[in-house]
Amino acid sequence: MSDLAIRTEGLTKNYGEVEALTDLNLEVKMGEVFGFLGPNGAGKTTAIRTMLDLIRPTAGRATIAGLDSHADSVEIRRHIGYLPSDVSMYTNLTGRDMITYFSNLRGGVDAGLVDELSERLQADLSKKIGDYSSGNRQKIGLILAFMSKPAVIIMDEPSSGLDPLVQREFQTMMREVAAEGRCVFLSSHTLSEVQRAADRVGIIRNGHLVDVEFVDDLRSKAVRRVELQFTGPVDAAAFAAVPGVRDVDVASHHAVMSFDGNMDALLGVATDRYTLVDINTQEADLEEIFLQYYRTDEKSTA
Amino acid sequence: MMLANVFTKTTRDRLPAGVVGAVTVAALLFFSMWVYEGIDTSFYYDLPAGVLELVGINPEGSGAGGIAFGAIYNLIGALVLGGLAISFGASAIAGEEQDGTFGLLLGNPVGRRQVLISKACSVILVVGVMTLLMWGAGVGSAAVLDVPTDDLFIGSMTFALFLNSLFYGFLALAIGSSTGNRGAASGASAGLMVVGYLAATLLPLADLEWLAKFFPWYYYNSSAPINNGLDWSHVAVLGGLSIVAFTVAFVGIARRDLKDKGTNVTILDRLRANPLTSKVMERVAGSARVSRISVKTFSDYQGLFTITAAIMFYMGVLIPPLYNFIPEDFINIFATFPDALVAMIGGVDMGTPTGFLTGEVFSLVGPIAIIVLAATMGSRSLAGEEENRTMDLLMSNPISRSKLVVEKVQAMIAWAFLFGVATFSATWIGVRIGGLEEVGVQGIASISLLLTLFGLVYGGIALIASAATGKRGVATMVATGVALATWFMFSFFPLSETLEPIARLSPFHWYLGSDPLLNGFDWRGAALLAGTFVILVIASIPLFQRRDLRLGKS
Repeated sequence: MSDLAIRTEGLTKNYGEVEALTDLNLEVKMGEVFGFLGPNGAGKTTAIRTMLDLIRPTAGRATIAGLDSHADSVEIRRHIGYLPSDVSMYTNLTGRDMITYFSNLRGGVDAGLVDELSERLQADLSKKIGDYSSGNRQKIGLILAFMSKPAVIIMDEPSSGLDPLVQREFQTMMREVAAEGRCVFLSSHTLSEVQRAADRVGIIRNGHLVDVEFVDDLRSKAVRRVELQFTGPVDAAAFAAVPGVRDVDVASHHAVMSFDGNMDALLGVATDRYTLVDINTQEADLEEIFLQYYRTDEKSTA
Repeated sequence: MMLANVFTKTTRDRLPAGVVGAVTVAALLFFSMWVYEGIDTSFYYDLPAGVLELVGINPEGSGAGGIAFGAIYNLIGALVLGGLAISFGASAIAGEEQDGTFGLLLGNPVGRRQVLISKACSVILVVGVMTLLMWGAGVGSAAVLDVPTDDLFIGSMTFALFLNSLFYGFLALAIGSSTGNRGAASGASAGLMVVGYLAATLLPLADLEWLAKFFPWYYYNSSAPINNGLDWSHVAVLGGLSIVAFTVAFVGIARRDLKDKGTNVTILDRLRANPLTSKVMERVAGSARVSRISVKTFSDYQGLFTITAAIMFYMGVLIPPLYNFIPEDFINIFATFPDALVAMIGGVDMGTPTGFLTGEVFSLVGPIAIIVLAATMGSRSLAGEEENRTMDLLMSNPISRSKLVVEKVQAMIAWAFLFGVATFSATWIGVRIGGLEEVGVQGIASISLLLTLFGLVYGGIALIASAATGKRGVATMVATGVALATWFMFSFFPLSETLEPIARLSPFHWYLGSDPLLNGFDWRGAALLAGTFVILVIASIPLFQRRDLRLGKS
């Protein structure tokens, strides 16, 4: 099997005049959790449905596990697990029936694994789908996606409706899949979820892929809030000269600034001239980074 | 107090279906008038009154206009309008409940009864618009075709039609509001309508008019509003019944717990929950039911099959013995029917047991029942999964789209054949009870099998529309439209010499044209029906393969 879990080349989907997805080029590797991040209506679901041959691209192509998304669609589906967003199931079946049904359609599902998964997610399989809360239905959907140990698991907004404890277990499950050399591709509009689970993130907006970054790189690139405490008064200009420093605010012994440069350089200035007492830096979370991307994107399109 | 928003939204949702239904019936009226206008219709009025009423025509009427109104508006029109009104009434409250939108609606500062009143007003308006359209079409068609209507009460007739439809709509509303079960509301109302129509037309034939008076349909048609104007006592009965139905809804809706976005509890589910039967049922309803797509699909239609097969069972068992009650002189008159009239009632001699059975069981109710079964399955097969948003999940499994079509079709074929078996058994029992020795087992088997194949053709039409569009509503409308058009071709085109050859293109002709109950199995007809079905299924596959799957109804 190919090292590449998912590869799209110029994948484009238009609905009449509306461009839902434009020229998506993406490579997702086996052994990683890939987060596909964007607000509602950004084109995440369109991208996923196109990759899965549920809808057909206007231009471009996609391969999953090295197989062509259209020509080999049936074969592909042997190797993937898929959880659609806002998943609907057959309301007249019980959770257990639903799992049995899909096991029969899929073949080769280990009943022991189903039990293990439902235990870990605390899923109740005895009730009818129509009587489940959305969170419980989501758990059944997760079991369906994971139960055949597929090479690639694609999930569209998977954490909706899950309580925090189950979310944590779900994060662990995703990391395990990646550790086994398989791949998880999850779309989300909530960053905290992706931040915890994903290795890399693709950011999509208005049908365009804005950027793909390692989560760690994103963080290191990101603006931090740095607070420095000294024994005596300091000069604001000294810090402002350091590359990456912005918005310096000095009040006698205390300096606060925004910083997205090399920490070494900043500390060099701080310790060369003054005596540093305390340092406090706050990591910007993805939320801010995300907003930053959008702001810049807005500026460039405006 | 009425809620303008609820009223407007409901009306906007229902009006398109209502207009399509009314326009279709109006078109049938126009064409039948056109056909009748070209032939000598005087023979109709040599026939005894009871016979004419059987085909919906009033004996005192005159000319092409009277016959056309009788045959189209009084029968097909009333069934179509009544059926639509029932679906509006059943969806009004129970539909919102089962879709899970009723709770959301009541999250606003509105009362249940306010919603009910708004919905009821919307039913009145939509049914009103439908009848108004049909009134206009009736007057207009007569004017365009230069058919005299001086002695016809078109307004009275359409008003009676309005009231009749409204009653069934309100009946469905009452059952739906009191139980929250849409299926029960539409099933029971439609059942009463069909049974009532048969009772009101058949019982007087057997000198049982007093019994017919227990069925609401009697108050719609027995006074022949098209010829006599309105019989106000009958108007009062239908109006009163409608008010009673509304009152039941008004009381019922406030007195119970509303259902959550619901699951239907089937008989299988009950057996599964019962400790005595749970072990066996767990296999049947549980693991066996979900063994593959065709089996699951099959299982999903237990309810619909039960309703349609029950109607057929009732007809099959009851109609044959009824033949014995028809007075002797009636039978003799049937034998002297002119060809043109014979063609209209299905090309059979109503004076013989086989002809009577064909006319009463197999030429209208049988086709309607199996078309409802097969076309519902056909239209929901693919579009239903898409509109219910289950298609994406289903297609994440390693199955091809063509395989999915085939599996869905297998379930449709299975139910259609079981419907045929039910029809055969019921008719055989009925014939035994009635002691109609002229009707052979072979004939019953032949017509039942042909009926099965016939139904599959319309299932195939619904399927291909479903595969091509992913829209259940479109598929249902296409299948219904084709059914009405082909029924019309078969029933009315033979009356005109120039149109007669076209009538042979109708699946109704392939099914009934050879008079299979009398003459046995028609291989040619069967081959045409089966061939058409197979072609429709095969053609559905590429149409389904090449398009984007829909996600929900948007």
